[in-house]
Amino acid sequence: MDAFLTALSAFSDPYLLTVILIGTLGGVLVGAMPGLSSTMATALLLPFTLTMDPIPAISLLSALYCAGTFGGSITAILVNAPGAPPAAATAFDGYPLAQKGQAGMALGMAAVSSVIGGVFSVVVLIVAAPLLSRVAYNFGPPEYFALALFGLSMLATISGESALKNLIGGAFGVLLATVGMDFTTGVDRFTFGYWELTEGIHFIPVMIGLFAGCEFLTQASKLKQSRVRAVLEAVKLPGWADFKRCFGTICRSCGIGSFIGLLPAEGGTVAAMIGYNEAKRWAKDKSQFGKGDLRGIAGPEAANNAATGAAMVPTLALGIPGSATTAIILGALLAHGLRPGPHLFIETPSLLYAIFLSMLIANFAFAAFGFLGAKLFARVTLIPTEFLWPSVFVLASIGAYAMDQSIMDVWIMVLAGLFGFVLKRYGFSAAPIIMGLILGELVENSLKQSLIIFDHEWIQFLERPIVVTFLVLTMASMIWPLVTLFRTRRQERKAANAAQN
Amino acid sequence: MSSKSSVDRAASAARFPRDMVIGFCIVVLCAIAYWITLSIAEAPAAVAQNVQPATFPRLVISVIAILAVVLMAISFRKDSRPGKSVPAMVAMTGAMMLAFVISFEVLGFILTMVLFCFTMPVIWGERRWHAVIPFAVLFPGAIYALFALGLGVHFDAGILGF
Repeated sequence: MDAFLTALSAFSDPYLLTVILIGTLGGVLVGAMPGLSSTMATALLLPFTLTMDPIPAISLLSALYCAGTFGGSITAILVNAPGAPPAAATAFDGYPLAQKGQAGMALGMAAVSSVIGGVFSVVVLIVAAPLLSRVAYNFGPPEYFALALFGLSMLATISGESALKNLIGGAFGVLLATVGMDFTTGVDRFTFGYWELTEGIHFIPVMIGLFAGCEFLTQASKLKQSRVRAVLEAVKLPGWADFKRCFGTICRSCGIGSFIGLLPAEGGTVAAMIGYNEAKRWAKDKSQFGKGDLRGIAGPEAANNAATGAAMVPTLALGIPGSATTAIILGALLAHGLRPGPHLFIETPSLLYAIFLSMLIANFAFAAFGFLGAKLFARVTLIPTEFLWPSVFVLASIGAYAMDQSIMDVWIMVLAGLFGFVLKRYGFSAAPIIMGLILGELVENSLKQSLIIFDHEWIQFLERPIVVTFLVLTMASMIWPLVTLFRTRRQERKAANAAQN
Repeated sequence: MSSKSSVDRAASAARFPRDMVIGFCIVVLCAIAYWITLSIAEAPAAVAQNVQPATFPRLVISVIAILAVVLMAISFRKDSRPGKSVPAMVAMTGAMMLAFVISFEVLGFILTMVLFCFTMPVIWGERRWHAVIPFAVLFPGAIYALFALGLGVHFDAGILGF
């Protein structure tokens, strides 16, 4: 209770409230801008928050995360260009509604369902995170090793072309984390004589490069694309009848989004797609889906926002990121010298309450910004690419440099950007590499500690029930995508044979 | 027409599945990475406690190699349509990114930013000089004011002394 009151008193400081509002406004803006996701924005902003105290720094990033998820829906509805991946499903029905001259209604429904989903997820966060952390309090190195393995195995199920490629990306991230001095023995690994690499590859320049540098190159490949803008009348709240029609969809999506968000490595994009599909599946009249059905907006928007707070649960309680953006927030916590997990709940509960409250404030603030400034936010798409993206690249370089004022970090950022672009072309995603890089140290250290505890008898891993549970879940999450793949291929073969006959 | 499509089909059949090529490249890279781990120094047994510094990287490399082999194995029967070629503009932009870092070290922060903010929009086809020139001057100025003067970030001077 004391911690809650301490956190609450922090919010009487206008500075903190201003920081949250700036984060929310920034989140809506970057979310609205196609290509600039909240993930990239948090990665870009992270180095600059290192000079701030932990509470405003993490509150700023959390507010940006929540608002960015909603911001994507503005351009998805108005210009059929989802500002962020979680808003992709919103465009299916949002843009057709905008073409019918009902963009204001569509944005209103997106805002209302986003707020409901977002607030629901904060409640889930407040309830589930302390409970989960209490369970994790009894974890030793073997349990943490198994948990980190489970988190990495969940990469097989996140968005991307291939489950295997995500796993390879995650393992590559873990390998990157081994660069530098081995903490147990003091021996250098993969430093190639560069003393700057002795402390290892910091995840911040890699993150900035993989998200911002890679997107800079992607934008270079689509310079000639133009977008059509829908006419927007005033944003208006959905009527009672509309809300009643969408209420069931919103409730379902809150549950779906929270569940998906709770799973390590899953995030808003998957939640939104499932939210949309379920909205369609449960609808009695499906004829208007894809042509402009409000339930097609309410479903994905409630789901992707419901995933935000829930994705913070494994991040804060276990130190296992729930999504790509929470991986960056986890990075921010580590950079501020805070180790997520049970100890965070005991040692710095006021920080946790501050995160809860900032996310709650951000959820209401983005709705207000959405209603008041949708027309303005839609105009961010008119900023010429030729000026916007060079500016983003310069900011990315300065962000990478400013952290340690080292040119090596700028090199790492640029090389990560080039490498990320090549990987993207061949179906690999950036998020698994980041997660692997962040979890790498935990995996290696907990494995080494476990082996020392077990006196190198691997079989002892199987004598601990929690470890066995996580290992079974790990196997299941790795095998399931392969089973699905073979089943799909068999169905395709059957369909092809039937067509030939 | 039909002969052309049969040629296409034959070409497609002769082409390796894309994921097989990717998997093969990863296996080769893993072999190189494993070879590099052979040069990692060994720690005294009392310090290493039976886990040498190279043990964990080798374990991870082996996992990546196994996953790559599985990727190759399941790439059979997969559609092997060639990907779109990379536009020349991407290569040019990538070269500019590298030039930016090299120039950062040689010419210094301010000059590099001005040059980059002028050149990049021009390379991307922007010809409105009344927008390009103010952007190339004002944006770096604002960034310098924010980071160097406001946040106290130190930028090394270039060969021109600033």
